[in-house]
Parts: sequence; C-alpha cells; structure tokens
Amino acid sequence: MLKRLICFLSVLFIVFSFSPSPLPAFEPSPEDRVLLNKIEKDTFQYFTRFSDKITGLTKDSSRTGSPSSVAATGFAIAAYAIGGSRGWIAQDYAYARILTTLQTLRHKAAHKQGFFYHFLDVRTGNRVWGSEASSIDTALAVAGALLAARYYPGTEVEKLAREIYGRVRWKWMMNNSDFICMGWTPESKFLPYYWDSYNELMILVALAVGSSTSPVPPKTWERWLRPEGNYNNHRVIYASTGSLFTYQFSHAYIDFRKLDDQGINFFENSREATLANREYSMSFSSQCKGYSESSWGLSASVGPGGYKAYGGKPGGGLQDGTIAPYATLSSIVFTPEFSIKAIRFFYDNYQKELYGNFGFKDAFNLDKQWWASEYLGIDQGITLLMLENYLNGEVVWKKFMELPAIKKWIGLTGLERRSASTAKN
Amino acid sequence: MVQNRRKHFFINKPLQIRFMIAVIVPLFLINLVALAGVYFGIWSKVLETFSNEQTLNDLVTASRMVEYEQARHPVASQNFSSLSFFMQTEKLSQRQREVFKGILNETNRSLLWKFSLLLFFLGWGTIFISHKVAGPFFRFSKAFHEIEKGNYRSRVTLRKLDEGHPVAQEFNEAMKKTDHLLSDLKTLTLEKDAPQAVAKIKEKLSTVQTSADA
Repeated sequence: MLKRLICFLSVLFIVFSFSPSPLPAFEPSPEDRVLLNKIEKDTFQYFTRFSDKITGLTKDSSRTGSPSSVAATGFAIAAYAIGGSRGWIAQDYAYARILTTLQTLRHKAAHKQGFFYHFLDVRTGNRVWGSEASSIDTALAVAGALLAARYYPGTEVEKLAREIYGRVRWKWMMNNSDFICMGWTPESKFLPYYWDSYNELMILVALAVGSSTSPVPPKTWERWLRPEGNYNNHRVIYASTGSLFTYQFSHAYIDFRKLDDQGINFFENSREATLANREYSMSFSSQCKGYSESSWGLSASVGPGGYKAYGGKPGGGLQDGTIAPYATLSSIVFTPEFSIKAIRFFYDNYQKELYGNFGFKDAFNLDKQWWASEYLGIDQGITLLMLENYLNGEVVWKKFMELPAIKKWIGLTGLERRSASTAKN
Repeated sequence: MVQNRRKHFFINKPLQIRFMIAVIVPLFLINLVALAGVYFGIWSKVLETFSNEQTLNDLVTASRMVEYEQARHPVASQNFSSLSFFMQTEKLSQRQREVFKGILNETNRSLLWKFSLLLFFLGWGTIFISHKVAGPFFRFSKAFHEIEKGNYRSRVTLRKLDEGHPVAQEFNEAMKKTDHLLSDLKTLTLEKDAPQAVAKIKEKLSTVQTSADA
C-alpha cells in the first residue's frame, strides 16, 4: 500500500514538474475577453491588408511607400495559420496565402546563405534600401514558417518551411566568432555587431542551435551575456535598451515557463522586467501626462521624433512620454492584470485617436498631443501571437515547442534537465 | 590728383567713428533683421512643409531604415544644434534632423562668408563716406588754424569726390579777398608818404565792417 502511494506520489510529482506552470492567475471579465478577442482579430487584419497578394510579402509599416519586412512577413505567416484556425478567414484561403508567401521566400526573396535581407521589395522580393542580410529578422521569418508547418503538417507548407529553415547557414553568420553576427551586406560584409548580450536574441540562437543542417555550437547559447540589474526591487536580466519588446519576441514562440537557464527563468524575468518598466514610467507620471498605473508601455516604437528604442530600467530608460500600446498588449502573458487594465484604459479613453481598423496604432504621446497614424508589422505580429497564447489555450507555444529543432535546442543546452533538477530541489 | 591722395583712412578719427556708428549700426541692424527674417522664414517653411507632407515618403522611409539601426545600436542623445531654433523640428525623427542639420550647416557656411563680405563692404563703404565728409572738415580746421596763426595765404583744397566744394570755393574767395586786403594794407605801410598812405588805408578799410565800428 505504501509502495503504491509512493509510486502514485512520484508520478504526480513528475507530471507537475514537467508540465508548464499556468499563466499568472488572473481571469479577465467576459467584457474584457470580448475586447481582447476583437483586438486580436482586428490586429490580424493588418496582415491580410498589407501583404502583397502575389508575393505574400508583408509591408514593414502601413505607411505609404513602406517596403516589406522579412520579420513582418514571418509574423504574417503565423497570423494566417492562426486566422485560419480561428475561422477569421477560410482555411483554404489561409493555406493558400501561407503557401504563396513561403514560395516567395523559398524561390524569389533575396538572401545570402539563407539569411533574408531585412527589407525587400514587396513586388519582386529584391533587396531594398541597402538593407543587411539580417540574422534576427530571418529567425523571426523562419519561426513563423515553422509554426505554420505545425498547423499544416505533412503538406507543401511544411516542406517549404523545412527547406527555408534548412537553407540558413547559421554557422556562417558567426563569422568565426563566439556569437552570431547581426547581419551582412554585400558592401561592408559582416556588420560589426553581434548578438552577445540578452535581448530578443533567444529565438535566433534557439533556432541556430536546433538546426539540423548548419547548427551553431551549443556553447553559443551559454556564451551571451546575461547582465543583471535592479529597479524597484525587480531583479532583471536586462536588455541594453530596456525596451519591452526585447522581453517579448522570443516568448511569442517559445514557452520559457519550465525552462531553467543557469538558474534563470526567462518567463519570470520578462514578468519582472515588465513590472519594472511599468513602475519606471509611473515614476515620471508627474512630468508626463500619459503615464499612470493604467497607462504604460515603454518599448521601441515610432514617436513624435521618429522611431526610437524607448525603454525602462534596468536598461537605457529612454522615455519622452511616448507609450506603445502594442508593448502593453504583448505583456499580457506576463502581467495579465496590469496589461488588461491598461488596454481597457487605452480603448475607453483614446479609441478615437488610437484605435483603427487594424487594432491599436503604434504609439501616442499626450504631452505633445501626438498620435501615431501608422501600424508597424512586427508590432502587430507580436501583439497577435501573445494574445493568441493568452486567449486560445497557449496554442502557439504548444505547437512551437513540439518542433524537433526546439527539442534539440533544449536538449543540447540542458535547459530541460536543469528544469527537472530545479523542480526536484 | 596724386598729390591730393590721402595717406590715412582716418583723418578725424572721433568724427569718423561717430559717423560710422551712426551709419553702420542702423544699416547693420536693418540687414541683420532682413537676413534673419529671410533665413528663418525660408527654413521654417521648408521644415513645416516637410513635417506635414506625406509626399516625401521616400525620405521618411530612408530615415526609418536608419532609425531602426539606431534603435538597435543606440547613440548618444543629440545636444543643442542650429536646428534647435526651429520649433518645426520637434516632430522630425532623429535621422530627418540629421539630414536637415547637414543642409542647414551647409547653408550657414555659405551664408557666413557672404555675410562677412557684406560686413566688409559695409565697413569700407562707411569709411569711404565718412572720409568724404571728415576730409573737408579737416581741411577747414587746418585752414582756420593757419589763419589763427596769421597765414592768410591758406586755402582749402578738396579732393574731387569730397563733399563741400561750394563752401570751400566761397571760403577760398573770402580768404582771397582778405588776403589781398591785408596785402594791400601791408604794402601801403611801406610807402614813404605817410599821410597819403594813411588816406589810402582809410579808404581801403572804409568798406570793412568790424566790431570797432559802433
């Protein structure tokens, strides 16, 4: 009897140890849930409206004359898969759109060693604006493609997604260094910047380590710097800008809740960073009209003076009163109670100026009476994926974590093993 | 002419400087206001147009490309610059500001030497004009000094472009008459027939009115 009890308890322990911890306990009201679903659906429309019907490439911004961004295109692929599964567009249509986009990426889009150029001509897929073959933007495109592959297994979509991923020479982008280079241009060759410190790099390094065709050494994961800072008793492994998006992009696809990295849980880290970011902006509430406990969100966005890497502390802490609602929305998996309160506040108070056909516009600044007139593709993408994780049973995480590449990355870097040992302790 | 060429620009320095200030300061202020008005007017219009118009989308896109990079690799915040004078730049992006700063600096450089040239000509012009006025004053003053010393042969000789030629001519005529009168009187004092000389002197002086005449 005792043996059976011990056995039963052991099984229970193992099951709870390895199953992801639930999202922070907070249940939105039915009204809030309706609003969040509306925002997600409206945000999704950006990708159907601003993606080219022939190539599938998605514009970087809703602004006239904007080129396509390969990262936004990656988000669009993920968005179509989500839109199809949610019934916002027909499954056939979603599949066709994904297929078109993947065929463009596979056969037409300009690339170097599999790395797509950051900005492409929407119609031709040619490199524009002298942009670099970008490692992070390629990773975001590949992540979107691999997610779509999970929605349509055993199809042409999966085949193309694998080919696009398999074609990327991740090791080449290391340029014989310890880190992955940020990019390469035909004119200057490798850029002098490397992914060597914490930010949105985790999705990139995960895919690079998990590659079956050109993997980077697992040590590449361990080597990047994890600088630790403190703001208002929130201890955070922080990104240099302190921008919220750096704590979100990797988390759109990867479920870090049970992944322990050298004693760090990056899900908890993002939650702490989000709380610190909110409190940092609140500390300026006497100087900036826009900041309050219901109005926060410092992240890279357009602003009255152009696109800037706004952020909190720890980190650069650049702020001028500009708030990026996409960042508040995308924090929903980390801080649902604060995010939903802020979203409701934005929607109820600034709907006329800030909300459009495609959800929340990129940013606003009350001090300068400035309201963004545009939407940015990547900001729309992160919003959509985070809302989908929050509202629809963490479906993106579940599908993405099942990818062989992700399993390989976890296995090679020992993240899961550490998770188990931590749980036992 | 060569004889009359002046060796010094400043003949009567205090007078000339006062004259220069009286001329150059208003001229300078008028020029400055006009130049600043044109300069700020043009640039404000250009920047305002740029800020409001979507027609320059390509420039905005090009700026955005750079801003994306700058957001990834933040640079130190910009300090005070010539653009700080323009309110219209508040809503321009960092990259757009850099572009305009370059244009503005180029314009400033171009305007600077033109402005310096203008100042030079203005300075030269006022010295030239003041010289035309101060020169005659100097000549008159010198002539009066000579007369005071008893030299009635002194005459005022002005340059061709000097002001006050009619006055100088009248002065010289008057001096000539006085000189001749005094010369005649001096000659008469040398005559041996004293009573006749006195009568002649009296005759000569009868046309002259002085403070001795009651």
